[in-house]
Amino acid sequence: MVQPKRSKLILLFSILSLLLLLTNIGLFAQEEEGELLGEVPGFESWADVLAAAEGTTVTWWMWGGSDTINTNVDTDIGARVQELYGITLNRVPNGAELFVDQVLNEAAAGVDVGTIDLMWINGENFRTLSEAELLYGPWSESIPNARYVDWTDPALAFDFGYPVNGYESPWGHAQFVMEYNTALVGEEAPTTFEDLTAWIEANPGLFTYPALPDFTGSVFVRHVFYWVAGGPEPFLGEFDQAVFDEYAPAVWEYLNSIEPNLWRNGETYPEAAIMDSMLANQEIAFSMGYGPSDAATNILQGIYPETIRTFVFDTGTISNNNFVAIPFNSPNPAGAMVVANYILSEEFQLKLVDPEGWGWLSPISPAMYSEEFQAAVAAMELHPATLSPEVLAAAALPEPNGDWVTAIEAGWIANVLEK
Amino acid sequence: MHKINRWIAVIVIVLGVGLPMLPQIIWSFAFRWLFPSLLPTEWSMSSWEYAFSPSSRVVEGFMNSMEIAVFVCFLSILVGLPAARAIAMYDFKGKGFIEWLLMVPIIVPGIVSTLGIHQVFIRLQLTNTFIGVSLVHLIPCIPYMVLVMSSVFANYGTELEDTARTLGASPIRVFFSVTLPGILPGLMVATMFTFLISWGQYITTALIGGGTIVTLPLVLFPFITGINYSNAAAISLIFVAPAILVLILISRQLGQDSAVMGGFGRL
Amino acid sequence: MNRLKLIEKLRVPLMIFPAFAIVVVLFGGGMISGLGQSVGYFPVIGLNEFTLDYYAEVLSDPGFLESLWLTFRLAFLSTLFSSILAVLFALVLRHSFRGSRLLTFIYQIPIPIPHLVVATGIVLLVSQSGLLSRGAVNLGLTQTPRDFPVMVFDQPGVAIQLTFLWKEVPFIGIVVLAILKSIGPQYEEIARTLGANSWQRFRYILLPLIMPGILSSSIIVFAFVFANYEIPLLLGVRYPTTLPVMAYRSYQDPDLGLRPQAMAISIILAIVAILLLVAYRRLARYAVKA
Repeated sequence: MVQPKRSKLILLFSILSLLLLLTNIGLFAQEEEGELLGEVPGFESWADVLAAAEGTTVTWWMWGGSDTINTNVDTDIGARVQELYGITLNRVPNGAELFVDQVLNEAAAGVDVGTIDLMWINGENFRTLSEAELLYGPWSESIPNARYVDWTDPALAFDFGYPVNGYESPWGHAQFVMEYNTALVGEEAPTTFEDLTAWIEANPGLFTYPALPDFTGSVFVRHVFYWVAGGPEPFLGEFDQAVFDEYAPAVWEYLNSIEPNLWRNGETYPEAAIMDSMLANQEIAFSMGYGPSDAATNILQGIYPETIRTFVFDTGTISNNNFVAIPFNSPNPAGAMVVANYILSEEFQLKLVDPEGWGWLSPISPAMYSEEFQAAVAAMELHPATLSPEVLAAAALPEPNGDWVTAIEAGWIANVLEK
Repeated sequence: MHKINRWIAVIVIVLGVGLPMLPQIIWSFAFRWLFPSLLPTEWSMSSWEYAFSPSSRVVEGFMNSMEIAVFVCFLSILVGLPAARAIAMYDFKGKGFIEWLLMVPIIVPGIVSTLGIHQVFIRLQLTNTFIGVSLVHLIPCIPYMVLVMSSVFANYGTELEDTARTLGASPIRVFFSVTLPGILPGLMVATMFTFLISWGQYITTALIGGGTIVTLPLVLFPFITGINYSNAAAISLIFVAPAILVLILISRQLGQDSAVMGGFGRL
Repeated sequence: MNRLKLIEKLRVPLMIFPAFAIVVVLFGGGMISGLGQSVGYFPVIGLNEFTLDYYAEVLSDPGFLESLWLTFRLAFLSTLFSSILAVLFALVLRHSFRGSRLLTFIYQIPIPIPHLVVATGIVLLVSQSGLLSRGAVNLGLTQTPRDFPVMVFDQPGVAIQLTFLWKEVPFIGIVVLAILKSIGPQYEEIARTLGANSWQRFRYILLPLIMPGILSSSIIVFAFVFANYEIPLLLGVRYPTTLPVMAYRSYQDPDLGLRPQAMAISIILAIVAILLLVAYRRLARYAVKA
């Protein structure tokens, strides 16, 4: 009787040990680290990438003008990738105007191992570096968490109309909203261009938009194009000079017609950087931007008065995405990919969309994540100044191809600014 | 007559210097300060807290900026002093050309040279190094150092040096015991300018430093064009403090010794 | 004997060499790239042929002359006004009176403060919703920001001018003050006993003595303002604007093809600046001698 029991015990013990052993080498790991969905240059498997990234430093160049973003990146991304993957995140406050030059100069000087691993990049600069073939990749469709990304969505497959093709990975989602001061405009905002025009004429000096080619001013003018053409369709394909010439005159005429009633009688258009403080200080009644929750954040930080609210046009507003990209000569592409992958994780995206966290929008639809995620998101309370994701999604319009943007900017400068 | 002039000067100077600085000093302690309030409606220390937190990298930037600026002052004296003396005390062919040449870094707009300088430094393997950043700061400092010190030397008589040498003192001894005390006031002014120029360098540090070396301007400047005036103000004040300190230290020299300022007085 | 002569011959070049080398090799080497781009050599984006087209484009642009004029006007007026104000303050501060040391120190405070910080301060002070405007509202003189006079983002560039003045007046001022303090009152005393009035004393005794100081410091001020893009960019109107701002905008454009144009504008700017400064210096030397 004793012997069979003992051998059973031994068997049980062995099985348990085996299980423990296997757990330690990850076969039954709670956190499944995932696998590559495709190829990445220089690495065979995701395990290789993780191993190469362990103990390394990832240098991330991004605009450093927001204390909340700086702190959030350090605590929500930096601390976590340290804990999970042994990566030290070195966030450098140098923005696009500096990192484009850095990569360009390193390329011109033949530097194969450069200084930047990751960049928070926007559409126009992505295009610049892509066309000069200065980006590492393709990689972004192959990392494990890319499975959450809907690459068929044109707003993710194209950045400013330029094909992403796996050279950058989504980070956050943006949508154009108008901000207004209810103390000067009233509770109801003018949500159509007709109403807005009427309001401008009745209240001279309180409306303006940033001078193009600033990207906020530029997207505002794109909305005028969509309005004049009755929708975004004519502008969604390749640039067509004939189509442009068909609608542009009406746009310039409209913008010139409202000009005398704009701020400073339209003699000048402000830099985007001061529009928000002009709104806060009642110099103007409207501002605008790509951040639907920026108004709420500003109110909570004391920058805006509590009377600021946001709205979108009845005909919709343009939305796009923020991305991160890796330069061709990154010294640590493995680490960069791990960080980008973490950004797409459910854990991080939950913090991203939390109004008490980052307060951003996610490039990933909640349905891709677990039910807990969806429940948590549904329970989140938005600030009254932030429009709900449903309202925003219903109003979302696509960006036109980059060539349209260039033509629009040049056209505005020639026909409206220089008159 | 004099009294009225003096009172006008007092009012204009105090208000003129103080008023533009006042909003930012107040902003650094403000949470909500909107039109038309003359004073903030809500106060807060959060900007100062942020400035001294690790995420802001302000303290790190401050230390780096200080180390680099001090080193640049040292290099600037080393390189600029002999050049200034040569220009002031000797006549040689091409002297005028050299003088204008040394002024070029002030006259030519930054964007022309910055990219190229970056590439030169990459080839010389000076990027991402402390010495590389110091050298690139040195470039705009040299004109000022040479300008000021060449005038000091122009008004400088070598009799004391000659006497010391005939008495058997070594050249090094002569320099430290005779020359240096004689040119010290002007040297302090020139060094202050060098310090300020290095202290305020932005794009050059960003490119040559490659993100490896983060200085205070790199941290500060994104905030200056941002919307959070409170953060920008707090960091600006931290940025300006050492510069004001340096000014206090040599304030006596400024506006007193004419030989010093003659450097600007030389045609 | 020969070795001594050699050392003597090499002495001056050796003293100049380090400074010369740094400026020529590092800065000059850097300029070559910019110069190259301005004539079409920009291999990273595929430009490889020598061309003067960019210069032609810039010079034939109708807005070029207007921008050049604005640039010159800004630099000239800044230099002129700051020189005059600097002299006026120096005339008062050169005397010792109670609090003159403290006042002189306050006067010098602008010198170490970077232009960008000053610009922010000026905007916060004089913008239509700035501190002065709020003062006016609280005094009942105005009601909305629009009632307050326009001083920033304006064609005349008042805020730009104020920013440069704030920085440059003390800069020129300390030079002039130093000279005045070292002159001493004797000459003026003699002149007064001989019957000269204060204007004559200033014009014939003081002015010639401080002229070299004014002229040299104003050369630096002029060169600086002429090439400065940050202040007009931050505080001016969008269009028309100064040449350095035009160059900067072209440079910052994501379309790298605009960079050669930015370089061309900048080099033209530098050449004009050098010509103006050389002329200014000649004129000054002549005026001093006369």
